[in-house]
Amino acid sequence: MAVKRKLIKERVPTPERPPEERIHDFKEVNLGYTFELAVKEAERCLQCPANYAPCIKGCPVHIDIPGFIGKLVQYRDDPDKAVKEALKVIWACNSLPATTGRVCPQEDQCEMNCVMGKVGDKVNIGKLERFVADYAREKGIDEELLFEMVPKIEKKGQKVAIIGAGPAGLTAAGELAKLGYDVTIYEALHEPGGVLMYGIPEFRLPKSIVESEIDKLKKLGVKILTDHIVGKTVTIEELLEEYDAVFIGSGAGTPRLINAPGINLNGIYTANEFLTRVNLMKAYLFPEYDTPVKVGKRVIVIGAGNTAMDAARSARRFGAEVIIAYRRGPEDVSARIEEVEHAKEEGIKFEYFINPVEFIGDENGNVRAVKFEKMKPLDERDSRGKRKIVGTGEYVTIEADTVIIAIGKHPNRLIINTPGLKVERGKIVVDENLMTSIPGVFAGGDAIRGEATVILAMGDGRKAAKAIHEYLTKKRKENA
Amino acid sequence: MYRILEKRELAPKHVMYRIEAPHVAKKVQPGQFVIVRAFSNGERIPLTPVMWNREEGWIVLITFVRGKTTMRMANELKAGDYILNVAGPLGNPAPVERFGRVLTVGLSAGIIEVFPIAKALQEAGNDVTALHVTPSSMTILENEFKKAVSRHLVEGFEVEPGWGAKEIVEEIARRGAERVRKLLSEEHFDFVLTVGPAGAQKAVFEVVREFGIPMHADLHPIMVDGTGMCGSCRVTVGGEVKFACIDGPGFNAYEVDWDELIHRVGFYTDMERRALEEYLKSLRGE
Ligand SMILES: Cc1cc2nc3c(=O)[nH]c(=O)nc-3n(C[C@H](O)[C@H](O)[C@H](O)COP(=O)(O)OP(=O)(O)OC[C@H]3O[C@@H](n4cnc5c(N)ncnc54)[C@H](O)[C@@H]3O)c2cc1C
Ligand SMILES: Cc1cc2nc3c(=O)[nH]c(=O)nc-3n(C[C@H](O)[C@H](O)[C@H](O)COP(=O)(O)OP(=O)(O)OC[C@H]3O[C@@H](n4cnc5c(N)ncnc54)[C@H](O)[C@@H]3O)c2cc1C
Ligand code: SF4
Ligand code: SF4
Ligand code: FES
Repeated sequence: MAVKRKLIKERVPTPERPPEERIHDFKEVNLGYTFELAVKEAERCLQCPANYAPCIKGCPVHIDIPGFIGKLVQYRDDPDKAVKEALKVIWACNSLPATTGRVCPQEDQCEMNCVMGKVGDKVNIGKLERFVADYAREKGIDEELLFEMVPKIEKKGQKVAIIGAGPAGLTAAGELAKLGYDVTIYEALHEPGGVLMYGIPEFRLPKSIVESEIDKLKKLGVKILTDHIVGKTVTIEELLEEYDAVFIGSGAGTPRLINAPGINLNGIYTANEFLTRVNLMKAYLFPEYDTPVKVGKRVIVIGAGNTAMDAARSARRFGAEVIIAYRRGPEDVSARIEEVEHAKEEGIKFEYFINPVEFIGDENGNVRAVKFEKMKPLDERDSRGKRKIVGTGEYVTIEADTVIIAIGKHPNRLIINTPGLKVERGKIVVDENLMTSIPGVFAGGDAIRGEATVILAMGDGRKAAKAIHEYLTKKRKENA
Repeated sequence: MYRILEKRELAPKHVMYRIEAPHVAKKVQPGQFVIVRAFSNGERIPLTPVMWNREEGWIVLITFVRGKTTMRMANELKAGDYILNVAGPLGNPAPVERFGRVLTVGLSAGIIEVFPIAKALQEAGNDVTALHVTPSSMTILENEFKKAVSRHLVEGFEVEPGWGAKEIVEEIARRGAERVRKLLSEEHFDFVLTVGPAGAQKAVFEVVREFGIPMHADLHPIMVDGTGMCGSCRVTVGGEVKFACIDGPGFNAYEVDWDELIHRVGFYTDMERRALEEYLKSLRGE
């Protein structure tokens, strides 16, 4: 019989830097729990049985959430042990907890149906997960755990090529390396990490975290070839001559543009370009870093997903007045709630039910304003459950000297032109084992889903690694 | 990390680097480019493999020193040093088909990119005339062209005291257009190909259009990733938005929206100038 515990209705808050301070730099906004605070929050968890716990069902990779939270309470007198045990539980399903703890849309996943929500605040699962990962990294506990695993790896003598070093590719690589395969990642850019590196800003996901994850992979023996663009530097066909299997995790990197006059005016960025300049190339440190970016006094960001919030909040940090323009209403904003709240605290304005129809320029080809059509919602809903909208024939023009388009992305084009690779509406087609139409070639993440989430990409990487392991085990037996 | 095997100044402001980059050397075709990142706080800039050796695994890049990155490379890198990143080959190969009599026009440093294409066109059975429009002191690759193509012409001029980059590019545009007009009026050509500053390419195109000869232009929009991920390099071609890094960099000159391109390449001019000035100041120890 479990000890009867007092219900603590309110969440233990995580310290955050105040908006007026943080809008002047790119340092992380949320400071996370200390061990004491983490234990206090962990104590709020009711420890629902694993087969019932709704949090586990809500997590796309089914982490044993009460399991890892319980370890924090159980070993509260020995923080290092508590974290190590909790990390073991998390790692069984998720190898990038410092990242997912920060960027998962927890409100729609693990925390959505937490039973504590019936009596008070839901348990702050994301921040607890992040705490475990951060503490482990700072104390070297993660490496210790990794090395306990490494000597047990039995080399299989087969080689796997991974295309793209985003969360899907990194996860597949790590899992396959742990299974004893010789893994090489081909990455187009100069830094591995995918969107974690070039898209999500430092103030939300410090790059040192991504780098530390990649270091760990290297210690597992994973080789990373940057500057290699599959489809140009080497083709999938050629990879298949050298490797026993291939995993495609090339993401959805092609930005969608708005088909409206003036789209190529100067000062109109895609969110990808803007964020790449700012994050990957560190344009916020210009001229110490060489890459320029131009942020005017008035910035309009079009779209209302995570990408739009990241672009808007980055622009704000250059001192701009920022408006987020969205063609639908507040209930359809798809960004994480925490980011929307942070954006509002930082003084970013939201304009709903306006849809851009024209970009207006000056005589030098620079954007000066955006003309929007006012939209109105209907009662009818579309296939994704969003309310349909129609134009009203009324227009409004808003001045801006920088416009950032954040309306979504398509899968990367260089890969999908591979002969024999079945693709539907830009997405690579896979079977239930994530194998593509080319035998031995698997795919996952945004490349098969279109723009999705980090945890889904990781989940695919893990699932594909398992399928590749089965595929290669069979191959070994056939050749034996 | 890619080792610099050899570095040489070919003419004022024109620096040649021979670099170990087997992954590029193995695959590169005329008309393709690479993205180079030379310094940890540096930019990614597109450059063109001018020559290569597939077996020995090296490529030759030539930079025209015009701003901070190309100047830093010239000042700070020497043979034996390493370049952090050389990604590629990127972009599509140039159209190397049997056209007949071909005129290639290298406007200023555009000649760097013309070389491998002109050579390939000649090898493909065309009769190639390669024209280089440049300040006379900056004539490069003369011997290489003489060996590679039927005829090599230099339209050289002296830079007047007090001219800046703007005046030089205007002179290149004016002379380029004039010389091309003369060539096209006196001889028959089946195909024209140009590389160079957008304004000068436009001037040449306007002449070629009068003669109705098919023309291919390699464009130089500003690039970041070079893999189709950012859209910085977008150009309007045939009324559609294209990404020069994966749809180009070469396009049918008749379909290019030249004025838009001219505006877009100038977007960062003020910041580029500032970066260069601060760099020059730091060199002077200020
Ligand atoms: C700005 C932004 C913010 C986001 N915020 C969140 C968030 O808060 N929470 C969340 O869950 N999700 C978020 N997402 C979505 C999430 O980042 C993606 O779903 C996830 O990164 C997909 O992972 P992936 O591994 O499939 O692809 P990516 O992360 O896109 O990685 C693909 C990698 O493949 C490389 N590549 C592409 N083509 C080639 C090629 N031909 N050869 C070699 N390499 C290639 C790319 O350079 C890249 O490194 C955000 C996305 C963006 C853009
Ligand atoms: C496909 C392609 C191939 C090229 N090949 C060569 C080559 O072989 N040799 C050579 O000298 N130059 C080449 N260029 C141009 C080269 O990229 C620029 O000279 C270089 O970026 C200048 O950098 P900078 O810092 O020295 O000068 P900056 O002061 O930064 O810029 C000077 C001018 O260079 C152009 N430029 C600047 N940044 C970029 C960028 N990221 N992408 C494209 N253009 C830019 C702009 O027009 C700018 O006004 C090529 C460009 C393209 C698009
Ligand atoms: S991986 Fe994401 S959804 Fe799963 S428990 Fe962690 S934060 Fe929640
Ligand atoms: S649903 Fe909530 S209370 Fe129950 S185990 Fe999960 S986190 Fe704990
Ligand atoms: S340079 Fe980024 S899409 Fe072409």
